[in-house]
Amino acid sequence: MEISNLPISPSLRSKLLAKGYTNLSSLSPLSPSILAQELSIQCEEAIEILRAIPHATTSKNAYTPHGIIPGAVTAWDMLSEEQMQRHISTGCNDLDTILGGGIHCKEVTEVGGVPGIGKTQLGIQLAVNVQIPVEYGGLGGKAVYIVDTEGSFMAERAYQIAEGCISDILDIFPSNSREFLSCKERLRANNFLDGIFYFRICSYTEQIAVINYLENFLTQNKDVKLVIIDSVTFHFRQDFDDLAQRTRVLGGLSLRLMKLSKTFNLAVVLLNQVTTKFTDGSFQLTLALGDSWSHSCTNRIILHWNGNERCAYIEKSPSLPSASAPYLVTGKGIRGINSNFKRARTMPS
Amino acid sequence: MLFTAASSASIRDPDSIPQSSRDSFAKPQHPLPIPIPLQLLLPHPKLSLGCPILSRLLAGGLPVGTITEISGESASGKSQLCLQLILSSLLPPYLGGLGASSLLILPSLLPSSSLLRRLSLLPSPLHISPLDHIFVASAQSPEHLMMLLYQADRLFEKSPGKMPVRLVVVDSIAAIFRSEFENNLGDLKSRTGMFFRVAAKLKDQARKFGAVVVVTNQVVDVMGPEVAGDGGNNHHIGPVLWSSGRMVAPAMGLSWANCINTRIFLSRSDEVAAMGVNGGEAIVRTKRTMEVVFAPHVPRSSCEFVIRKDGVFGLELER
Repeated sequence: MEISNLPISPSLRSKLLAKGYTNLSSLSPLSPSILAQELSIQCEEAIEILRAIPHATTSKNAYTPHGIIPGAVTAWDMLSEEQMQRHISTGCNDLDTILGGGIHCKEVTEVGGVPGIGKTQLGIQLAVNVQIPVEYGGLGGKAVYIVDTEGSFMAERAYQIAEGCISDILDIFPSNSREFLSCKERLRANNFLDGIFYFRICSYTEQIAVINYLENFLTQNKDVKLVIIDSVTFHFRQDFDDLAQRTRVLGGLSLRLMKLSKTFNLAVVLLNQVTTKFTDGSFQLTLALGDSWSHSCTNRIILHWNGNERCAYIEKSPSLPSASAPYLVTGKGIRGINSNFKRARTMPS
Repeated sequence: MLFTAASSASIRDPDSIPQSSRDSFAKPQHPLPIPIPLQLLLPHPKLSLGCPILSRLLAGGLPVGTITEISGESASGKSQLCLQLILSSLLPPYLGGLGASSLLILPSLLPSSSLLRRLSLLPSPLHISPLDHIFVASAQSPEHLMMLLYQADRLFEKSPGKMPVRLVVVDSIAAIFRSEFENNLGDLKSRTGMFFRVAAKLKDQARKFGAVVVVTNQVVDVMGPEVAGDGGNNHHIGPVLWSSGRMVAPAMGLSWANCINTRIFLSRSDEVAAMGVNGGEAIVRTKRTMEVVFAPHVPRSSCEFVIRKDGVFGLELER
């Protein structure tokens, strides 16, 4: 929306333009008094200008007659935008299928499972896969990886997974194709490592501080498309005696993360531990941090053992049916059972 | 013993927590967090297991800065492997060691003398007398263990010996925890809390001082799913582990498993290697297996090993 379309008197408009205001977004954060000072006009006039803005913003959607509330979009717009979105592949086709293409941007996804099931592996895999260049069907974004005391993140493993990812890309796209030549430079494991912003935290105070700081960080690094918190749980499980307090702090945390995911159009993935819960006379596995926390994520995926097979199960999702898919953790990272099966078996340990 | 009160007060004081969390939501007190370039973290330093085959199973050894659990039934070779790690840590880094002394924490000092005697019998690398480079302490209770760990901070910062302390071995952690707690809900909860505190402290030290933490653990028998029906929740936790023909799982359950990075499982089973000649006794061979149940850097894998007088060695099987 341009200033020139603003329904205000032409003299005010020319004053605005003279001062370099061409865009509505540059106007909206201003207060009337500052604007008045800036343009050397009456305060009332400044108020008049600012009042005109939200009205104008709605008429931005002039082609859709539903823009009644400022900032509102129609479900149709949302749907078409969602269909335009690319998703972050997990590396396992079956899992991508039940997730509707992969991990979605603008959503908070929680992944939980028993120790050793591959939560961190999935996290690293996503941090690598989000960087697959657009030409190869990826997002070409970057990742923020926040590791707490518990997290088993290892740079060495990230390097291996990046190499595995690159070699798979090269299998699918033969090396002599034109696309390959254009982004040959980017397909190096070291570049993938550089695309992961790795934060380490040692207490939940630091955890909150980093998440508060993220907004700043993401404003400066707009290409970040994925934020992973490797275990939201550890510090919250050990440091809190007052559960009501913990619920409030966690509530604030999840609101912030939701807001970040929407504002910056990125995916947030939280890794969580599982714990046992006593229901109906038997102990069941459930994600840690309690019931109120379970409402704070858009999607929940539980990783579990099914005999000797690893399985991912969608426990909660607003748009997807509950389903489960088997997956493998191989030397190259997360892979499907069927694809690359032979290669997965022969990976050196 | 002097600073027990102060240190335990600082970790326990619940009043300090809500205040600080409220503050941090308003404005971060810390300097701005800076992402760490991952390439600086390559390659990850590791402590060799003292045998090339076993080390290869772990892609070089136990990663520095993490907690490794070695679990197995009695006489499966846990202590033996720990001793070998202690020896290996004395080696300089280019030989797979840490160039460091170690801290050994035992449930009680009595059996340690036999452990240490065994150590003195092992061939020592570089003509260093290993016993000069081990600090031994005993922990009778989880609180005591916690206190020892706080005291160990000073040991890490300034070792009294020639070499810094970079390896912590906590022998049979379950024995330290088992005696203290009743099997009721309140005690189980405080036990879990204690797990997290001990693990957090260990990990903090591992990371801050670039140390390797090794914890040995016992195993408990598992009722199979066919016995316990759907209620047997242990089979969710992972594929079953077998030792001596029994289905087992490392002790202390799920909450402890959340605290460790790497789990190594040692199993043994007696098998008949050869039938006895003309009715004599069959020759029974103990087949020992080391399995990496989970690790941050290697897939699940396993390998057979033998315990000889001069140490623990992996066997390369031709397939």
